[in-house]
Amino acid sequence: MTSHWCDFQNTDVILNCGSNSVENHPVSALWLEKAHEQGAKWIVVDPRYTRTAEQADIWCPIRSGTDIAFYGGMYNYIIEHLIEPNLAKYQETGDMSEYNFEYLLNYTNASYLLDPEYEFDPATGLFSGWDKETKTYSNHSWHYQTESEENWDTTPTGDYAWVSGEGVPEFTTPTLQHPKRDMTLQDPMCVYQQFKKHYSRYTIDTVCSICGMDPETLELVYSTYASTAKPGKAGTVLYALGQTQHTYGAQNTRAMCIMQLLLGNIGVPGGGVNALRGEPNVQGATDMGMMVNEHPAYLKWSNTTDRSSLRKWLESQTYSDGYYTNKPKFIVSSLKEWFGDAATKENDYGYDWWPKVPSKTGDIDYTHISTFELMQQGVIKGYFNWGMNPCHSAPNAGNVRRSMANLDWLVVADQVITESASFWKAPDMNPEEIDTTVYYLPCALIYEKPGIILNSGRWIQYRQQAVEPWDQAKPDYEMCDLIWTAIVDLYKKEGGANPDPILNTKWDYYVDGKIDPRPVAWALNGYRVAGTECNTNSANPKTDLLKGYSELGADGSTACAMWIYSGMWNNNDAPLDAAEQPLCRRDTNDASGIGLNSNWAFSWPSNRRILYNRNSCDMQGKPWNADKKLMEWNGEKWDLVDQADFVAAKNGKPVPPNNKTFFMLWEQNARLESYGMVDGPLPEHFEPFESPTDTNPLNGAFQNPCAFGTNYESTKQGSAVDYPIIGTTYSVTEHWQTGGQTRLCPALVEAMPAQFVEMSEELAAEKGIENGDEVRVFNNRGSVVVPAVVTKRLHPMTINGEVKHQVGLTHHFGWADLFGTGDVVNDLTPNVGDPNSFTPEYKAFLVNIEKA
Amino acid sequence: MAEKAILFDSSKCTACKGCQVACKCWNDLPSPAAGEAKWSGTHQNPIDLNGNTRLIITFNETEAPAAYSTKPIGWAFGRRSCQHCDDAPCATVCPGGAITKDEETGFVTVDDAKCIGCQYCKSACPFDVPRYYNDGTLGKSIINKCTGCIDRIEAGMAPACVSTCQPDALKFGDRDEMLKIAYEKVEWLHDHGYPDACVAGDDENYKTHVIHVLKYGYEAHGQLENPSVPATVAMTQVMKPITAAASGLTVVGLGAMFALAAGYSRRRLVYNPDTQDTLDYDTSEVVQHGDPQDSESVVEHITENLPFGKGGAKHE
Amino acid sequence: MEMTRRGFLKAGGGALATAMAFELTSKSQAFALDSDQSFKLDRTDEYTNICCYCAGGCGSLLSVRDGELVNLEGDPDHPINKGGLCPKGATMAQLRNVVDPETREVVKNPKRTTKPLVRRPGATEWEDISWDDAIKEIARKVKDTRDANFEEVDADGLTVNRTTAIASLGGSQENSEEEYLILKMMRSLGVIAIDNQARV
Repeated sequence: MTSHWCDFQNTDVILNCGSNSVENHPVSALWLEKAHEQGAKWIVVDPRYTRTAEQADIWCPIRSGTDIAFYGGMYNYIIEHLIEPNLAKYQETGDMSEYNFEYLLNYTNASYLLDPEYEFDPATGLFSGWDKETKTYSNHSWHYQTESEENWDTTPTGDYAWVSGEGVPEFTTPTLQHPKRDMTLQDPMCVYQQFKKHYSRYTIDTVCSICGMDPETLELVYSTYASTAKPGKAGTVLYALGQTQHTYGAQNTRAMCIMQLLLGNIGVPGGGVNALRGEPNVQGATDMGMMVNEHPAYLKWSNTTDRSSLRKWLESQTYSDGYYTNKPKFIVSSLKEWFGDAATKENDYGYDWWPKVPSKTGDIDYTHISTFELMQQGVIKGYFNWGMNPCHSAPNAGNVRRSMANLDWLVVADQVITESASFWKAPDMNPEEIDTTVYYLPCALIYEKPGIILNSGRWIQYRQQAVEPWDQAKPDYEMCDLIWTAIVDLYKKEGGANPDPILNTKWDYYVDGKIDPRPVAWALNGYRVAGTECNTNSANPKTDLLKGYSELGADGSTACAMWIYSGMWNNNDAPLDAAEQPLCRRDTNDASGIGLNSNWAFSWPSNRRILYNRNSCDMQGKPWNADKKLMEWNGEKWDLVDQADFVAAKNGKPVPPNNKTFFMLWEQNARLESYGMVDGPLPEHFEPFESPTDTNPLNGAFQNPCAFGTNYESTKQGSAVDYPIIGTTYSVTEHWQTGGQTRLCPALVEAMPAQFVEMSEELAAEKGIENGDEVRVFNNRGSVVVPAVVTKRLHPMTINGEVKHQVGLTHHFGWADLFGTGDVVNDLTPNVGDPNSFTPEYKAFLVNIEKA
Repeated sequence: MAEKAILFDSSKCTACKGCQVACKCWNDLPSPAAGEAKWSGTHQNPIDLNGNTRLIITFNETEAPAAYSTKPIGWAFGRRSCQHCDDAPCATVCPGGAITKDEETGFVTVDDAKCIGCQYCKSACPFDVPRYYNDGTLGKSIINKCTGCIDRIEAGMAPACVSTCQPDALKFGDRDEMLKIAYEKVEWLHDHGYPDACVAGDDENYKTHVIHVLKYGYEAHGQLENPSVPATVAMTQVMKPITAAASGLTVVGLGAMFALAAGYSRRRLVYNPDTQDTLDYDTSEVVQHGDPQDSESVVEHITENLPFGKGGAKHE
Repeated sequence: MEMTRRGFLKAGGGALATAMAFELTSKSQAFALDSDQSFKLDRTDEYTNICCYCAGGCGSLLSVRDGELVNLEGDPDHPINKGGLCPKGATMAQLRNVVDPETREVVKNPKRTTKPLVRRPGATEWEDISWDDAIKEIARKVKDTRDANFEEVDADGLTVNRTTAIASLGGSQENSEEEYLILKMMRSLGVIAIDNQARV
């Protein structure tokens, strides 16, 4: 989330799209209802009439998987109704009564000129730079034209003097290329003109035909949401897996960002692009970069191409301007924390001990979907599941359990015997034929151990241990330490395949000789190496914790595993007392008056509550909305209500307002057009991998040409002839994910004892199904039997002129022996995904149904 | 302490059922054993109150109001639980003194230990709220209904259902204050395209300590527009002259009448403490002369003549 | 800075040393309640925690008596949830303890598994295993798998220090310190197939 939960109260229009937030993020209801009672309009765009839709003012049903068409139509509406009719007047008189031109022109890249080679061809659905052989893009033509160049000043008085410091690894500093701009927005190659041309195809009629919408409702949605284009008005978009779980999920997310930029809704109170994250510490796990290509704190992991050495990493990753000019400090501090004394300038701080991910075009992929293919091929032989249950949650779950049967060993750390731990006991498996050794390690519950957890709004909070773990259960940190130290002992004793990365890893998070999460918290916060000993005794801890990330160096003097968390745990007077750290602050006085709660816990980065908050003010530093102020330039300095997400002062001197409002990007303006995505610089509507229609009125590519995993044999693509019904999956408020926790709670199983398939009355009549009947839902990948809910809350849709049905399945049950059991619905979902994020397409696929 | 009330604003309720399960957790009420929970076929689960469930959220699909043309239905969420009647008939008829009205808050509380399992309260309740669990140890069925979390209120806390309500659809406070908020909200709803919105719980003839804001009107949310005490309970008034002031003793007859009301054809008996005679209610014939009864023997009499047999074997 | 009444002062360190007043090993053992107990929260210590479901970050308040959890509800001071909890959050205590529908007594949740188990190749059932043995066996398997499938230098002569034979999945359920330890262990072993719930 770019904002945080309490900020929803500040909005003027709520748009739930791809999220059923009052059901699946119930606390959102408190803040949304508050805004609603104060007069905010509430729109829900969802295939079903959900419990969220009931709260809202407008429900706009949408066919699963067509969000980009919906957003594209919104852009076209904004351009036709707000920008074009008012642009000339703004240029003449500065009139912004209908639209915030100042934001568009100064804070986004609308005025930037694109490379003359940039092109999009609707006939093929391809952007410039396509390589037919590899089915990948070169993004060269998606970049900007350059006006002038500027090099870093690394002399002793220069801005980048630190580069020349002792201990800093050598690298060639980047060159800043100032982009060419046309502030009149008339140059045909400017982002705005290309953007306008691209989305002129997304007319109301076309969008309705693709999305299965009613034109009147759609226009009502567009006009209501676009009302936030006025300066001082804010709209918030709430999304979740309904947006991300598609073969173009990352472009869906981009699409929302673009909408919010066009409306001036990013960085303002009540605005933002708000991912409602679905796992308790998924924000933390994302921050931690627990993914193949990622490194903690939004840096990239080492690979075999542009990050194949420390020098290459520094040269490819360090931005030419903005805050990411500091990346060398972050990566060196990370290495220093990882390898401790063994990390020196001479050995590139141990960079080569990190495993390198294959990254040449055509190299094998190791992300989630692919791991099961690799198990079938015998490449992956051992598997750890830490509180995750892929036999239930991964797409094409039948394929998952059959793949896992090929493992030599599996370790499952959980609180119950999950479907994954017991995959060999699945109803369609024969244990006697399965040679996998499976270890089940019982874990402590969240209140049986202490630790740090982040919420979707980036708040770093603390869990106190309330009780001891039951019986033999242990916290994961203890399991991890037991396993790691046993492995280290074996390598010390026996040697083995290059033991250096293992033996040089610093693993010293002990208090009084016992593994302890508190020194790990020091590592995450960052510390000066010279003054800190992680392996400590409680009587006399020695720490020199960093106040914040501005103290980080690239010279090996500081260690920090997670630069964005710096400042959360920095009290050197009581380094072992969580309660004395910023992340445990419990002051509920909210001086901001708009719910920033800046004195409660700690929000990364640097306790900033609303990201990109400089955008809440105009070019003179005056807030767009004086009643909801995050900061203001008073003529001499910035009065800050929130922590500045921009350069408010430099070398102790206030920096007057300028247009550098997105300083986490090198251009420091936000991107309507972006060269950063692998599948195109602008979101374009494509059909899902399994589509109910045979036409794409917008382009000739039909589906995302870059979609991931479509060539895996196991996906068993189905056609609309055999499987004419659109399937989607979702959660109910009474259960959560694979049910490993909620099916462990009898009161929740009682409150929702079964999963079900929801269908319209029309489809039910066609199939002779009545409410409560057991129904078989099936496709090429699997078949599940669940009871039917026949309802008016879903209805048939006319898609490209043909009537189509949608059904929705909840997915919380399985064979694991808990208070409730049922079939695994993910047996039906396809193991294909997004080419940027590798997120599977759970939300739009094809099925057929029959009375069981 | 001023009179209290729980306010349920159905227009803010998201039907998450947090209240339903928080009630169970605070009151240590069990749920069915593994594999035993039965799905109702709708979102409403369990389908009704039961011996271990004091509160459920109800789901009802109704027509969407004209102002909301994009909506296929109005999804009316209701809160089904004890309404804490001001003139609580269940307390009036309770022979064992298990159900009493808390004079300070107005909430109708329960002392399980005093429940004799007669289930008269069920018949007396205009809202069909009381349910019973089978106490294996004592061999009888025991009332289970919302107590208003009087234990929490006395400790300065809100009832468990109110505390846990995330959308702030449940509030707890002085009844006057709750009514004020309720009427303001109904006005807001009228202004926002919900013409049938109304307040329940403030009927001039029937006052309760649970106030509802009903977005789609009484029926859609499962509430009674004109609640009234069942005729059977009204008979207590008729009998009072016969039985004099000792109202606790009137229930000999009441028990029989409730049994009849519940579909059991049994003789209706009335006890007159002045003459110590037991009479047939319909014929006024004296069935038994001079059989002095105190409250203990009344209870004994009732437990031998329970509507569902001794021990309340019918476990709901 | 003003600490709220649920500040950490009250429930701070050391309180966990309280001995547990019930039998841990018996699944059916009900917790002894004090006969003189008049209110559920009498003589309890309060601890604050954060919900284990969606990433709302709602605060919870746990009441503990004699080392056992007796109540869990929303933290009324928490600025996000202000004491509220959704049905999942409101039942978090049941992850540990439930009410037995037969006896109506609070017992350990019978569906939670709290001892290490192993399933041997071809076996149709689980076997008990001690923590020591489980860790020993896991370490051995990790080492053997890594040693047999380790690539120090790739075909181009680039130092890559990786094994593709081990994969690690998960992290969003763990606390951040644990995420770091898992990540550090896996990466230092040379694992590249690392993923967590954020991917899906």
